[in-house]
Amino acid sequence: MNHNQLDHILKANHRDAYLWARQCCSFDDEMAKDVLQQSYLKILEGQAKLKDVSKAKTWLFSIIRYTAIDSLRIAGKVVSLSDSYDPIEIHEEVDTTDYEGIIKHLPEMQREVILMVFYHQMTIAQSAEILQIGLGTARTHYDRGKKKLKELITKVQIQEEYGK
Amino acid sequence: MENNEHLERFFEQMKNQDEQLEIPTFPSVHTRKFGFWIPAGIAASMGLAFLFLQEPTTVEITSPEVVIITLQEDENQNQHFTIEETTFLDTWESPTSSLLTEY
Repeated sequence: MNHNQLDHILKANHRDAYLWARQCCSFDDEMAKDVLQQSYLKILEGQAKLKDVSKAKTWLFSIIRYTAIDSLRIAGKVVSLSDSYDPIEIHEEVDTTDYEGIIKHLPEMQREVILMVFYHQMTIAQSAEILQIGLGTARTHYDRGKKKLKELITKVQIQEEYGK
Repeated sequence: MENNEHLERFFEQMKNQDEQLEIPTFPSVHTRKFGFWIPAGIAASMGLAFLFLQEPTTVEITSPEVVIITLQEDENQNQHFTIEETTFLDTWESPTSSLLTEY
């Protein structure tokens, strides 16, 4: 795959890539821009190679995710890949329209699978590929994430309706 | 069939909100790889530097210091002048030596 083809793929997916980078960086715009730039550099320098063009988007998302994990680690924001299934309590006031605030309350892996499926219209299998986990594990994160997000949305709505 | 309407609506609204986000322009990424022209340029510069830094060798131009003019006679008794230019003489005969001997 030559430089021009890669350039074309990156341009075609640029918007989605930026949004995904932002989601991987806890919605930090500046960090997302930096992560995206680093990811593009890795690709164009040949550090990451695309074998199957039909999987370009999952490949790009995977690179962005791992670059974001590295950046978060350097920034001292430790990312735990082991998931917590404990129910999450919302202590601070979250608005029903603060979608990012609500999503942030989900455990890392659940949040990523849910975002990939519902926001980026990917399949659970594609999410599993990006996260480099088994399909069964991805399904578990998906089911639990969905359940937890529904609970969170309901909780926020109740909080907003009746006050804390 | 799963009932995901609630979540789908949530994400639809989130996407609408993200429409307001300013997407950075596609960056012009400059790779750190060496292209063809960089090593070629270095090689050309080194070649030129080598040529210019060489000490100019003095080329000795030998200027003829001696001109020998001889009068020769061919088989038909015709006389010809031959003019030779050289830097040295093997033998030298005074042009007036004949006066001494033939006197």
